[in-house]
Amino acid sequence: MGLTRRDFLKTSIAASTAATVGMPLAKEAEAQVKASEKGWQWDKSVCRFCGTGCGIMVATKGGKIVATKGDPDAPVNRGLNCVKGYFNGKILYGADRLTQPLLRMSNGKFDKKGKFTPVSWEQALDIMEDKMRWALKERGPHGIGIFGSGQYTIHEGYAAVKFMKAGFRSNNIDPNARHCMASAVVAFMQTFGIDEPQGNYDDIEHTDTAVLWGANMAEMHPILWSRITDRRLTHKPMKVVNLSVYGNMSSDIADLEIIFSPSGDLAIQNYIAREIVNRNAVDWDFVKKHTVFATGPYDIGYGFRPKNAEKFHTAAEMEIVKNEKVRVLDKWEAIGQRRKEGEAVEQKNAATPMKDWAISFEDFKAALEPYTLDYTAQVAKGDPDESLAAFKAKLQQLADMYCDKSRKIVSYWTMGFNQHQRGSWVNEQCYMNHLLTGRQCKPGDGAFSLTGQPSACGTAREVGTFAHRLPADMVVMNPKHREYSEKLWKLPAKTLNPQMGSHFVKQMRDLEDGTMLFSWTHVNNPWQNTANVNHWIKAAREMNNFIVVSDCYPGVSAKVADLILPAAMINEKWGAYGNAERRTQVWRQQVMPPGQARPDIWMMMELSKRFKLKDVWGEQTIPGLKAAGFEDGKLPSVLDEAAKMGYNPEMSLYEVLYATPDNKKYRWPDPVAKGHPNITADLLKDGWFPEKALFEEYRQFGSGKAHDLAPFDVYHHDKVRGLRWPVVQKGGKWVETQWRNNEQYDPYVKKGAGFDFYGNNGKSLMMGDLDKPGTDKVDISGKAKIYFRPYASPVEQPDKNYDLWLCTGRVLEHWHSGTMTRRVPELHRAVPSAVCWIHPKDAEAKGLKRNDLVWVESRRGKVKVRLETGGRNRMPRGMIYVPWFDEGVLINKVTLDTTCPLSKETDYKKCAVKIYKA
Amino acid sequence: MNLSGILVVAKPGLRDQAIQSLAALPGVEGHQVDEATGRIVVVQEAENIRSEMEGLRQIKAVPQVMMAEMVYHYIADDRDVYEGIPPELQETEPAEACAVPAYLND
Repeated sequence: MGLTRRDFLKTSIAASTAATVGMPLAKEAEAQVKASEKGWQWDKSVCRFCGTGCGIMVATKGGKIVATKGDPDAPVNRGLNCVKGYFNGKILYGADRLTQPLLRMSNGKFDKKGKFTPVSWEQALDIMEDKMRWALKERGPHGIGIFGSGQYTIHEGYAAVKFMKAGFRSNNIDPNARHCMASAVVAFMQTFGIDEPQGNYDDIEHTDTAVLWGANMAEMHPILWSRITDRRLTHKPMKVVNLSVYGNMSSDIADLEIIFSPSGDLAIQNYIAREIVNRNAVDWDFVKKHTVFATGPYDIGYGFRPKNAEKFHTAAEMEIVKNEKVRVLDKWEAIGQRRKEGEAVEQKNAATPMKDWAISFEDFKAALEPYTLDYTAQVAKGDPDESLAAFKAKLQQLADMYCDKSRKIVSYWTMGFNQHQRGSWVNEQCYMNHLLTGRQCKPGDGAFSLTGQPSACGTAREVGTFAHRLPADMVVMNPKHREYSEKLWKLPAKTLNPQMGSHFVKQMRDLEDGTMLFSWTHVNNPWQNTANVNHWIKAAREMNNFIVVSDCYPGVSAKVADLILPAAMINEKWGAYGNAERRTQVWRQQVMPPGQARPDIWMMMELSKRFKLKDVWGEQTIPGLKAAGFEDGKLPSVLDEAAKMGYNPEMSLYEVLYATPDNKKYRWPDPVAKGHPNITADLLKDGWFPEKALFEEYRQFGSGKAHDLAPFDVYHHDKVRGLRWPVVQKGGKWVETQWRNNEQYDPYVKKGAGFDFYGNNGKSLMMGDLDKPGTDKVDISGKAKIYFRPYASPVEQPDKNYDLWLCTGRVLEHWHSGTMTRRVPELHRAVPSAVCWIHPKDAEAKGLKRNDLVWVESRRGKVKVRLETGGRNRMPRGMIYVPWFDEGVLINKVTLDTTCPLSKETDYKKCAVKIYKA
Repeated sequence: MNLSGILVVAKPGLRDQAIQSLAALPGVEGHQVDEATGRIVVVQEAENIRSEMEGLRQIKAVPQVMMAEMVYHYIADDRDVYEGIPPELQETEPAEACAVPAYLND
């Protein structure tokens, strides 16, 4: 019997696999698949994990997910799944799923030092309301904050932004995407004036070269990697280059592997640009018509606490943090910045790192002059066991590729560039080389920023769940953007707060110094994912504040919380994500969440019912607020204006923000559901369809502004597998855009322009020299900026005491902090705990061997971990790698909280440590 | 028992040799072949995920194989489904509804 069942299963699995990848099926096989899947309901969905955005098919039976498979119709993955995607169904069913609210209590009352005790939702919302009111009274709107997420559904992110910015008039919402994408965003905004890649994944099938800059795609984006592998083996000219600080799985099929030193990428990019210029490989037609040369200040600090750092840091930490004020230049940055070694440079632009101005091509060329092959090789060689000559030959080969006009090139990067003390600069340098050679916005040619989270683009960036953002690339500091948003949201003028809120790391610092008293975490794990985490754990547990964490499983953040709210997971609610190629994809709710777990959107809406307009729209104090039209430090009362608009001070935020008359027109049930449930609508019980209504309201922000999305129902159509924005109507059809800024594909490009960087329309720069802006204005409408950015050395470098570099990141089997993947027994067993990869000679020199338990210690903290000298990562001497998914090896106790000063994104890729036997 | 459906693409002209090499791997059965594109569907049976993933690595390592990726996963009823939860979380009784994971209070 068992044998028969097994054989039957095998044949059906083979047939399903074949069908999934579009192979013709025999009639009998088809019948057998149907028999084995009897009673299953299949529906399209999206993978919960990385930013690739693979389509998956989910089968439910009896209220449970019983099977998942790659979606054969999904253009991203064409039926394939990586090992994580393969287990999408199982992440819902971990043994320790949180199923009811838990509050720290003693003797039946909330007690910060108490034990977690189950409470009802009513009790949970009571204490949240109470603590929010206390924080607002003590500190004003910026006394509360939300740690948001690049894993929010689009609807959740939109509800959260509206909750904070329109409701509570607080800009203190910032996503974990700050840790992963912020540098990419700054570079897009500074270079092109509009966020997100111009190209898309189809570039892979058009290109001759894939250059990876600090992106281990083989492990982190395996499905895109399978497309690159396929291209490499079927297209003769195709070359793959892997630039990394250590050898990894992506090197296996690479034609060229370049191991560079931490921050050496800044020098390599300039070396390539210098070669392009000197070998006359510039595409002058493109450069003259479509670009402008630019630069900015170098003395921008390192993103540490700007004031009173001594009060919060130990003396050991201050050895590094003091660079925020004055930096003594080392030999290499002195040459790269045309200054003298040993010069003490006051970091005058630490508060204004975004300043930029136009320069001439001659100045640009002069700035590149120091980046010779000799200089670059000495600065950037990352493997001490490689000869200088061998390294130089590799750099030349790379430059040859960029200078070969007949060769198409796509550059890919993720965290190696973004999590970088000069992350915005190095992103911009990549555009520099693509723009210089006219290799941008063309099929097979482009610099393409990959994302790590499923909706870093769709939610964090497009919806704008950042401390400075509003939907569709707008920002709170811009009066016109506030006005536009106030109109769409039907808010009285001056409701929105013009003062930028606290970014992710600053929210942690605000909790540490007591400026923030109430914090709510959505869909991420801040106390595991933030660098130098000893500080933040202490701040959460020892300061007088209230920490709420919504999560599906207990992780480090839940553990440090005061109140834990059980959250519904992906297929337990309606949702939508936007992937790295601008593709918006949706799914229906498939199953009910367990116990009392609830969607995040419901939590926000329930809490919003408890606050009236009179509680939040009166006059508010915002320390530090300075903006035209506002009294210093104050937001005006808008209650009178609200009354004129027909609002009454007794109305709740729920009525004003969410269940508005316009939104209630979208009724539940809706035929688009095809019989699927909607727990949010059922719980709210007032007959509207919140996810659809919010999506329709949200898409008004981008319509006509080159961020256009199609209506909700279009994405849910059986045949649609996501659409890449801008999605515009042509002949009654909703049509996506493959390559932006290119006249052939993008409806927003001016006719006859060929290429048009319209994001910079109406903008201007001052013309200056390499050191400062001048007085003449240059219009940059339709143009992209080619920035010169110099080499800058890492702020902390190995020395006698802390003699090794530490790099952190992910592994294939786990995703982020492992909250979900560690619940899948198969994935957990495959890689149960983090290990420390080290070069065998480094281990030997310290008298250590594989599997030894060691301490990894920095100026900030230490963790215990086992050594690995072999396996998938090949470290150069002098560097170790420890992944961060394992809360048992909380490596962020060791890492340094330096950020790119422009993007405020933390550099997790380089700090100094020592190791010794535990 | 773990069953997975895997798509294998053989290098041009090496399909038959690829099928032979694949058949020699433990737990791997060739099921369907697409003559035109050299695509092969195999089903792999493995005792546990470690050997399943090791198996996939071995399939990828076959010299005539260009690429191999998992496509289909059957979530079988698995009595051991709770095995392998991270050790720090194991103190909690999984069956107890609405329990406070002991981990949170230590």
